[in-house]
Amino acid sequence: MSSSQDQGGRQSTFLGRLDRSKPHSFSIPAKKINDGDDLAFFLASTAYRDLIIWLLQLNRSMFPTRDDDGKIAPSDLTLPPPYSVRIQSLQRIMQALAGLIDKAPPNTGPRRFGNVAFRDWFKLAETEAAGLLQQNLGDALQLESEEGNEALGGELIAYLLGSFGSAQRLDYGTGHELSFLAFLGCLWKLGVFEQGEERGIVMGVVQPYLELMRTLILTYTLEPAGSHGVWGLDDHSFAPYIFGSAQFGPAIDPKAVNMPVPTEGSLQAAPSPSTVVKKDIVADYKDSNMYFAAIQFIYDVKKGPFWEHSPVLYDISDIKDGWGKINKGMLKMYAAEVLGKFPVVQHFPFGSFFAWERDEMALRQTSSVHMQQQPAVSKDVAQPPTRAVGTTAPWAQAGRTTGSGMSGMQASTRMATMRAPWAGNATAPLRPMSSTTSNVTTAPWATASRPALPGLGIVSTAVPWSAGQRGTQPPPPTGAPWAKKEEARR
Amino acid sequence: MSDLDKAIAQLRACRPIPENQVRELCYKARELLIEEGNVVSVDAPVTICGDIHGQFHDLMELFRVGGDVPETNYLFMGDFVDRGFYSLESFLLLLCLKVRYPDRITLIRGNHESRQITTVYGFYDECLRKYGSANVWRYCCEVFDYLALGALVLGASTELAPTNASIAADSQASLAEMEDVEIEILNSAGQIMNRLGRLPKQDQSQMTNPSSSPSQTQEASQNGAPGTGASGSSGGSSGNSTGAVLCVHGGLSPLIDTIDKIRLLDRKQEVPHEGAMCDLLWSDPDDIDGWGLSPRGAGFLFGADIVKCFNQKNDLSLICRAHQLVMEGFKEMFDNTIVTVWSAPNYCYRCGNVAAILELSEDGSNAGYAPRSNGDVGRSNGILQDRTPEQIMGPGRRYRVFDAAPQDSRGMPAKKPVADYFL
Repeated sequence: MSSSQDQGGRQSTFLGRLDRSKPHSFSIPAKKINDGDDLAFFLASTAYRDLIIWLLQLNRSMFPTRDDDGKIAPSDLTLPPPYSVRIQSLQRIMQALAGLIDKAPPNTGPRRFGNVAFRDWFKLAETEAAGLLQQNLGDALQLESEEGNEALGGELIAYLLGSFGSAQRLDYGTGHELSFLAFLGCLWKLGVFEQGEERGIVMGVVQPYLELMRTLILTYTLEPAGSHGVWGLDDHSFAPYIFGSAQFGPAIDPKAVNMPVPTEGSLQAAPSPSTVVKKDIVADYKDSNMYFAAIQFIYDVKKGPFWEHSPVLYDISDIKDGWGKINKGMLKMYAAEVLGKFPVVQHFPFGSFFAWERDEMALRQTSSVHMQQQPAVSKDVAQPPTRAVGTTAPWAQAGRTTGSGMSGMQASTRMATMRAPWAGNATAPLRPMSSTTSNVTTAPWATASRPALPGLGIVSTAVPWSAGQRGTQPPPPTGAPWAKKEEARR
Repeated sequence: MSDLDKAIAQLRACRPIPENQVRELCYKARELLIEEGNVVSVDAPVTICGDIHGQFHDLMELFRVGGDVPETNYLFMGDFVDRGFYSLESFLLLLCLKVRYPDRITLIRGNHESRQITTVYGFYDECLRKYGSANVWRYCCEVFDYLALGALVLGASTELAPTNASIAADSQASLAEMEDVEIEILNSAGQIMNRLGRLPKQDQSQMTNPSSSPSQTQEASQNGAPGTGASGSSGGSSGNSTGAVLCVHGGLSPLIDTIDKIRLLDRKQEVPHEGAMCDLLWSDPDDIDGWGLSPRGAGFLFGADIVKCFNQKNDLSLICRAHQLVMEGFKEMFDNTIVTVWSAPNYCYRCGNVAAILELSEDGSNAGYAPRSNGDVGRSNGILQDRTPEQIMGPGRRYRVFDAAPQDSRGMPAKKPVADYFL
């Protein structure tokens, strides 16, 4: 399997594969992000690069397609591509994990909120995980040596089990969702999937995973991890808004893999983004589109006016430039709010697939707000500044030139309403930064050398030392944002 | 109508007041709060409320159920902001009421009344969205630094003030007059859902005021409107005075063994990441012995032994705190020595919980006598003189339980400019 990376020195549209003809040391993924400097390193790492490539690869596959005759094929969950044996294997794993719910019935006794029976489910999942992988993907994972097999299993299982929320905190958030995307990325690197079946992966595996998560959330009343309350995009999820908006984007030529995906406009048959406030229309599309499935889940769990409990999604529904625009915004927001947030990615572990290694192609990067906002901030918190100085978002800079042609995407990842107020604050007790020149992989949609954004400029949002997302929190108990939680993924 | 009254009217309609008015309000509030000690003394009757979290319409429901300010004397135990859509309107209304009726409403600090937390959990985002700048957020944070850390309710009665409440149709309470009601639970219509009698103490005579019978002065309070049980004009019943009730947002701290130690803290600062001030706002009671690490990453867990010891040492009959969602609105623990009160119904639009407020009535027979229950060594005299190291008789507790406000007629706002990611 040849690596499809580095065609002509450009970042690939496809995640590189592992050369299985050569020896490879697998390793149990380990936590590496402990402070702001580590976050900076992450943003310039091969792991970050690979996560971005993988996300964009999957995202592209979800756009409707136009064939040579101009005939448009929709991207519809009810009209999935044929599923390969491997995708069916993963579906069986999802089904088996869902089946474990029957063996871990929720406690009926008094409880505060999250149901402790989730820990029983999680324990069962832990027990079964290795067997499920072996049983369903054993042929694909064959390795030479016994030890190699064990190490590979350990690496995969870490990401798989990291996908279902925290058994300790009884919560689930975007960090766990990221872990599942990484799990699938590992399988891609191993050659489990064929090129061209990305849409099958999203529709046939990611969507069932999201459905399993919704069942788990409802069954065990899992709390949102790291909730901004009504001011976040969604209590738990992000991926369905990316893939679902792609589904309603303008059709693309599936062969033109180096063409950028559309960043505005919609598929003609797509419902208007404004219809998310209409429950009946959401119900009409929930089975065919991932965005609407996610909105439907919000309607299922929340009581109250949509604009009040989901104001960010409500605002997005007013976008006039179509689903392509929303898709682009979701990707930027994902880079900033998930991959760029210390509270979320601090728990992401690194092994041999997503490696804690500097990406030599990542270009220079000026000091990022992420590097400044990290756990070591002392207790005497400085006053939030009135303006940010000299900081710029990690992806808002000269970046690798991308073959995926996302250059049309501006890196204006700033979001006035989501910025940590002390971002870039000179008076904040900052740790020594890895300063103004660390190499960072830029997101492919980053624009070149974006100058430091004045004032509200910084993209970033939450307090980075927060144990947020995957960390301690929300609705129910508030976690201290500076808390460094024990990793609850295993 | 004064400017302040106008602001109150505007905020009651859930409309934010202009930035310059916020600045002025916050300035006045700080002047007022700076005069308060770290532990505010509050005389019963008082209605104690837990987390609000920007659920403005539910706060209005709370006032409907509990009575309005200033008719009802309120004590809010923090967490006014974050997560909800109306943190701004909720907090500013409470602050206006504080400035307008300083003796009828007490606000103490919750862990969310903090710069760091509000930037993570929503209030900062909300201010930016509603005003286009962080100024209002900054003014509010300056007020947060001046909020008291706790309150001591004095003069609460072991008896419940009478109401003319009817019995709810689905009530578990018997219609028969109960001799010694310790806990009464009312629904939002003011009907009695349940009554729990006081468990007989082996030795009631240890109370030095045995002559005060629970049966006297059963005259009804002024009117039947909700909240009259705690009304200042009520004649009051004349149960025994109970020990003081400490109200604090989170709980206890291993660094604090007497209430006086709370008084010595320098509170006018951002909530620290550790230390006594942090613990008071972050800790949780738990079924453990002694102290434990908190899964929140701040504060501690503390067990029944810690609470009982602290209450005894400080002549407290009860600790009242908030900070944790409880599905039933309130939860008493550790032989009724500590209670969690939660006042945000259907928290985050999805938790399905009810909310509660707690009314303590005044001790009529001891009117004017306010035991200085601050834990001074050797202070224990008067009513508690010969008390064995046993729990002080708790105050009569009336919980009013309510659901989320109906969502009709909230209108739909104009959409705001979308986040920059989508430009």
